[in-house]
Amino acid sequence: MFLALREIRHEKLRYGLIVGMVVLVSYLVFVLSGLAYGLAQQNTQAISSWGTSKIALNSDANESLSQSLLTTATTDKLALSDHEAYIGQAGVVAKAAGQPKLSAQFVGLQAHQFVARNLKVTSGQRPATARQILVDDSFHDNGYRLGDRVQLNATAGKYTIVGFTHNAKLSVAPVIYGSLGTWRTLSHVTANFKASGVVSNDAHFAPKTAGVQTLTRQQFINKLPGYSAQNTTFTFMIAFLMVIAMVVIAVFLYILTMQKLPNYAVLRAQGIPASVLVKTTISQAMLLVVSGLVIGALLTAATVLALPAGVPMSFNLPLLAGVTVGILLTGVIGALIPVRLILRVDPVSVIGG
Amino acid sequence: MPALTLSHVTKQFGHATNQVTVLEDINFSATAGEVSLVLGPSGSGKSTFLTIAGGIQTPTTGQVQVQDQSLGQLTTKARDALRLNKIGFILQAYNLVPYLTVQDQFSLVDRVKPQGNLSAADLSALLDQLGIGQLTQQFPAELSGGQTQRVAIARALYQNPDIILADEPTAALDSARVAVVGQLLHDLAKQHHKAIVVVTHDLRLRDFADRIYQIMDGQMTVA
Ligand SMILES: Nc1ncnc2c1ncn2[C@@H]1O[C@H](COP(=O)(O)OP(=O)(O)OP(=O)(O)O)[C@@H](O)[C@H]1O
Ligand SMILES: [Mg+2]
Repeated sequence: MFLALREIRHEKLRYGLIVGMVVLVSYLVFVLSGLAYGLAQQNTQAISSWGTSKIALNSDANESLSQSLLTTATTDKLALSDHEAYIGQAGVVAKAAGQPKLSAQFVGLQAHQFVARNLKVTSGQRPATARQILVDDSFHDNGYRLGDRVQLNATAGKYTIVGFTHNAKLSVAPVIYGSLGTWRTLSHVTANFKASGVVSNDAHFAPKTAGVQTLTRQQFINKLPGYSAQNTTFTFMIAFLMVIAMVVIAVFLYILTMQKLPNYAVLRAQGIPASVLVKTTISQAMLLVVSGLVIGALLTAATVLALPAGVPMSFNLPLLAGVTVGILLTGVIGALIPVRLILRVDPVSVIGG
Repeated sequence: MPALTLSHVTKQFGHATNQVTVLEDINFSATAGEVSLVLGPSGSGKSTFLTIAGGIQTPTTGQVQVQDQSLGQLTTKARDALRLNKIGFILQAYNLVPYLTVQDQFSLVDRVKPQGNLSAADLSALLDQLGIGQLTQQFPAELSGGQTQRVAIARALYQNPDIILADEPTAALDSARVAVVGQLLHDLAKQHHKAIVVVTHDLRLRDFADRIYQIMDGQMTVA
């Protein structure tokens, strides 16, 4: 550490620039992966928040909840326990006097079932009647307030917002929770139809009823419109970004060490053990990369606070930890490659007599 | 037993058609308590000779023996340790680490070799003798050529090595300083029983030498 710190102190500008570069690269990686992950989350937040592990749909629905309809004749045969709940999904446009129109996903629930019971209300309360709705926070961000009377599509009558909930997004649209009756109205179906599908938080839920297909949560999510394509795009984008970030940082540290080889040759001529040079290089590279990563993370946190609430950003900690460790490791390896060089050759060949 | 022996050392650079032989069958030994001076014109192979003697360059053929150890048979690690403990190098250029103050150049040695170095009092006496006692907080870039050279001398002596190898230690010094350095090296040999090898084209150092050699066209002769 002695040599590493003395050198940084003596060459503040150079090391400042290296740290700045690590800051920018890690900031880029953090923010972009946060945005990508945030968007991916918006496809599935609601489904995840219910604690879904299985989902049963009409087997002709092409594995899509919004295309699925279950008749009462079918649902009567399902023998549901209190681990299952009916879900009726319908795309709607919400509007209220003086507020912007919002495209949303209506989710009809049965009040006593587990999904409705477990909804987390951030303000207000759960709907108690068919004319009351619980809506995602993003309605609040768009100016909607408790007590606002909302019209859904062109249907008659208004629905009153009685509560807000957090992280309720389905297919990147905010969710409006209401009753199954409202869902029937919005979907223009008769009382012969019970719901779009059934979700279960029991991993063993597997009804054998004809005309019903059961999917795992992941199978269902992968079939959400556009979800897989979007995820593949983002996965590749982030992977490329990470690889390039790691290579860039490794190259910078490589160049940094290359420039120090004459100094290392002098030290070796003096008999300073190779292990000291290796330790110095590692500790210095770690110090630079870690401070860059920390500042990058702080900047990212500041950005999250500064961004408008509507911008989806969410962080996958294992992914970020992987990125961080990857950058750190490649940085150290980049810095060490030239050191290996000087430990093999005669010091004089580097400094020349 | 001599402190340092070179037997049949040759050194060639380059390959095939543009191969040059810089040293040819050099046989040399230095004894504790003596100052050996190797004189030769520029390009005659003095630095090559000295760096091979100190193990920071390997000979093409031949042996280098430091006290009872043959350098060719040592691992890199053992050779580094030998330099740290037995050999003080004063190179022709590039002796100091640019980001360490003069004081820190010595502190670094303390960190890797806690024992056997000069005491603080001895170091400060040495620096005063060399006229650089005031410069301990300077960085190498803030020193003149002659000051740098004297710091390099002090640094090599600080490790209290048995063998001191000096390459043009007086190149940038005026005659008064040459006398100081010459006397210092002479006293180290006589009073502290060091083996001292100086390669130079500075004839002013002849008065302080016990043995004088000539190097010319890769051959070494006794002058
Ligand atoms: N790494 C090398 N590759 C090729 N030639 C070299 C190399 N090092 C030294 N030489 C050649 O070897 C010869 C002797 O070089 P050396 O540095 O030993 O001379 P010197 O006597 O110390 O000269 P000076 O008094 O100018 O310091 C020179 O001709 C030089 O060009
Ligand atoms: Mg030379």
